[in-house]
Amino acid sequence: MRSKSGFAGFIVFVLLVLLAVIGPLFTPQLVTDVTAVYLPPSGAHWLGTDSEGRDILVQMINGGRPVILVGVLAGAISTLIAIVFGSLGAYLGGWVDSVIVSVTDIVLTVPQIILLAVLASLYTLDSPWLLAVILGAFAWPYLLRSVRAQVFSLKEREYVEAAQLLDLGTPHILFREILPNMASFIMMNFVVTMTNAIYALVGLYFLGLAPIVDDNWGAMLNKAWTRGAIFFSDSLFYVLAPIIAISILQLSLVTMTRSFEEILNPRLRQS
Amino acid sequence: MVASDTEPVVRPALLRRITARIYHIYVVRRVLKSILTVYLVATGTFFLVRLLPGNPVEVYINTQMSQYGISYQDAASQAAGLFSFNPNRPLPEQYWEYLTGIAHGDLGQSLLSPGTPVLHIVLEYLPWTVFSVGLGVLISCGLGSLLGMLMAYRRGGWIDHTLSLISSLLHSIPNYLLAMLIVVFFGVQLDVLPIAAMRGAYSPGVTPEFSLDFISDAMYHASLPITVYVLTTIGGWMLVMKASTVDTLGEDFITVARARGLRDSRIASAYVGRNAVLPVFPQLAITLGFVVGGSILVEQVFQYQGIGFLLLQSVQRRDYPVLQGILLVVTIAVVAANLVSDLLYSRLDPRVRGTAGESS
Amino acid sequence: MEPILSVRDLVVEYRTAAGPVRAVRGVSFDLYPHESLALIGESGCGKTTLGLALLRLLPKLGSVPSGEVLYRRRGGEVVDLLKLDREELRRFRWSEAAMVFQGSMNSLNPLLRVRDQMRDTVRAHRRMPADELGRLVKDVLRKVQLDPERVLPAYPHELSGGMKQRVLIAMSLLLDPQILVLDEPTTALDIRTQRAIVDVLHELRAQLGFAMIFVSHDLPLAAELADRVATMYAGRIIELGGVRDLFYRPRHPYTVGLLGAVPPVVGDLPELTSIPGGPPSLLALPPGCPFQPRCGYAEADCEAAEPDLAAVAAGHTAACHHRDRVSYARKPAAGGSAPDERVASGG
Repeated sequence: MRSKSGFAGFIVFVLLVLLAVIGPLFTPQLVTDVTAVYLPPSGAHWLGTDSEGRDILVQMINGGRPVILVGVLAGAISTLIAIVFGSLGAYLGGWVDSVIVSVTDIVLTVPQIILLAVLASLYTLDSPWLLAVILGAFAWPYLLRSVRAQVFSLKEREYVEAAQLLDLGTPHILFREILPNMASFIMMNFVVTMTNAIYALVGLYFLGLAPIVDDNWGAMLNKAWTRGAIFFSDSLFYVLAPIIAISILQLSLVTMTRSFEEILNPRLRQS
Repeated sequence: MVASDTEPVVRPALLRRITARIYHIYVVRRVLKSILTVYLVATGTFFLVRLLPGNPVEVYINTQMSQYGISYQDAASQAAGLFSFNPNRPLPEQYWEYLTGIAHGDLGQSLLSPGTPVLHIVLEYLPWTVFSVGLGVLISCGLGSLLGMLMAYRRGGWIDHTLSLISSLLHSIPNYLLAMLIVVFFGVQLDVLPIAAMRGAYSPGVTPEFSLDFISDAMYHASLPITVYVLTTIGGWMLVMKASTVDTLGEDFITVARARGLRDSRIASAYVGRNAVLPVFPQLAITLGFVVGGSILVEQVFQYQGIGFLLLQSVQRRDYPVLQGILLVVTIAVVAANLVSDLLYSRLDPRVRGTAGESS
Repeated sequence: MEPILSVRDLVVEYRTAAGPVRAVRGVSFDLYPHESLALIGESGCGKTTLGLALLRLLPKLGSVPSGEVLYRRRGGEVVDLLKLDREELRRFRWSEAAMVFQGSMNSLNPLLRVRDQMRDTVRAHRRMPADELGRLVKDVLRKVQLDPERVLPAYPHELSGGMKQRVLIAMSLLLDPQILVLDEPTTALDIRTQRAIVDVLHELRAQLGFAMIFVSHDLPLAAELADRVATMYAGRIIELGGVRDLFYRPRHPYTVGLLGAVPPVVGDLPELTSIPGGPPSLLALPPGCPFQPRCGYAEADCEAAEPDLAAVAAGHTAACHHRDRVSYARKPAAGGSAPDERVASGG
């Protein structure tokens, strides 16, 4: 069903998730060794060491989980908000819809990162749940608009009219008739939201706006920046490793998105 | 019989009709919507700063009281000056003062440089971001749209496949990470770019003016941020334009246009191009918002003193009035960009200009 | 009289996921100056494909592996349209032969005003000063009973389906073509608009004298507008003749079946018949005559070989081995006396 590249993206994503979730169970403890600062890759340290002499590969394996976890959570939260309020608004219409649309327009207008930065100045964003909620709290407008448009167009279809005549009630109609037809669409938006959440999350870590409690990929970038690792040639791997990992993660998500787009718009498929 | 009064009277019904007529004009509706959005964001900012627990105004007052031992009244007065409001007054009054302040361009004063109006600070940094982001998005959109159209015309060919691949790759890597890679590879490892010299928005000693020297210097410094913006967003345009062009090419009126013996160039520009480019406009507004948001990150990597740079600085220093001001100004900028793109769209697509109906 | 268009053994093939499919399987006919020819058939018989192929407007997946489409220019020179290069083809299109698509379709560029699209059409072929162009455009709009002042500044979405259809007809006349090809000119229009369009077409033919090919599934339309009628089935013409010959003395069982299914407007309602079964898939045609599974006259030789068009009378041909036995008479509805003539679907 999915295109080849989309399927490949999916596999890569699953592998990364497995690595992030299971990997840390098998990694040894990190040892600080001040004499082994910024060592190049070797047999002992496959990716070299960081500014405190700790193994980079271990940090990489450990560092994926916080990022992916929060990304998935944020995606789930924002997808949920978008689906619930988008469908309700489109289905019920009237003032409910107007309110939802107005709120959406406002949240859509202000760039997400800027809002996050301001919030970061007011609160300490240490728990992953808090981060996920905040990231998810601003990512839903785009999806909500699309859900709303889809529900509008589906609302007019015959099988919905039939269900209405049978007086099956709003939740039934929404969940059993309309939403299953939008499954591909929702999946695609979940992936897109995850992509944006990860972008914002790593960015917050990088800027130091989210406190660093563990060695996640974003934290590594923050340390690379603040400790000037960017400007030393020895510390290349410390900088490259998280960048490449994050890029691969995003690439897998983007290819999945593209294949969803092809499903939804068959004319995009390469014939 | 004899007319006792001949003064013209504008009856209420007539007035209602005139107002309805004006409202029906798309432009008017659109501008009103923008003003409403800005108003709502300004209000949101107001309440964000004041009513949430741990609001910075209270924090400031408490800090002043504990650090300098001044009374609540005095600290409150100081806060009043800095935050462009008076915390002693009831909330509705504060709100009104806030709104009128904005209308007059008074956004308060910076906490860390007391006496400097927020507006001045913001206006010092804003043009650089507008310049780099604006130029970047325009180049990216123009180039990406042309490439997307090419990909649609040559579907399935090697151009299509290669460009798709490249665009996917570039789209995946977050723009600030690409910025870092550029610094690391071209600046440090390969030493091709003079990174240190390219920092900042303009070289020290160069005076901002409308001279060729200054403009070329500004371009020199903006080249790296612009490159990053272009590379990371061009993929999106290519995709949108390709999909749209493919859709348009399948439309009946294109077959009819060929049947009419129109030249390929005319078909490509006025028939395919004009129709295919329509989805680009809404996308333009969204991308602008996104890139402006991303400027907080990219400008940090390149140490480019735009509004993003200022934002981070203010967050780190807890300079709340400036933060408030930036939020407002950025919102206004994004709303204005949305407005312009919507109006341009309505110029192109006559179907939108109709009566007030369901907004899409 | 020399024909203005001669089609010889035209084959049109589409590339599909299931392999190449021949939508047109060897069609031959002539079109004479000033005459009107109707191509009648059900959906999927290949009539629209044939119409598009004449002007080489097939979509990307379509191709013409063999055949000739010979066109006689006004000067007498004969060219094979399939052999024209891109520029020659572009210049041929519209100025020699124009096509009118269904008005209900999205046939006009939604972003340009009607007058701009008219202007585009003329400018692509001739250099004309602006005022002369204006007069030509207004003139041609009046010919289709449209008010130029109302229509020219309008965008397509501001016009009704009937008005758009008339705009398309007007546009087709701008360069005074010798041939007009119309694809379902009255489909998806309401009855009154259909009437208006048919009247307009009558008038225009009388005034301007172009030859017309129109593709339709609407038999009564053919009866009104056509001089000659060709019925198509499974990608071939299976009967071709003058309009009266075909309607009163059809010689192919399929034509008989089509006629039997249309109720007459006047007189008693006869027994209406329909042809059992459905048209065959072009990917899996029955052996021999493609109609034989549904044909009441079918015998062993029908499965053995596909019949070619053969004469039944002067200027009337039918592709049926048993054409001499085919006849058509309507049975009155139950209650009347039943004549003992055979009808195709009976037996």
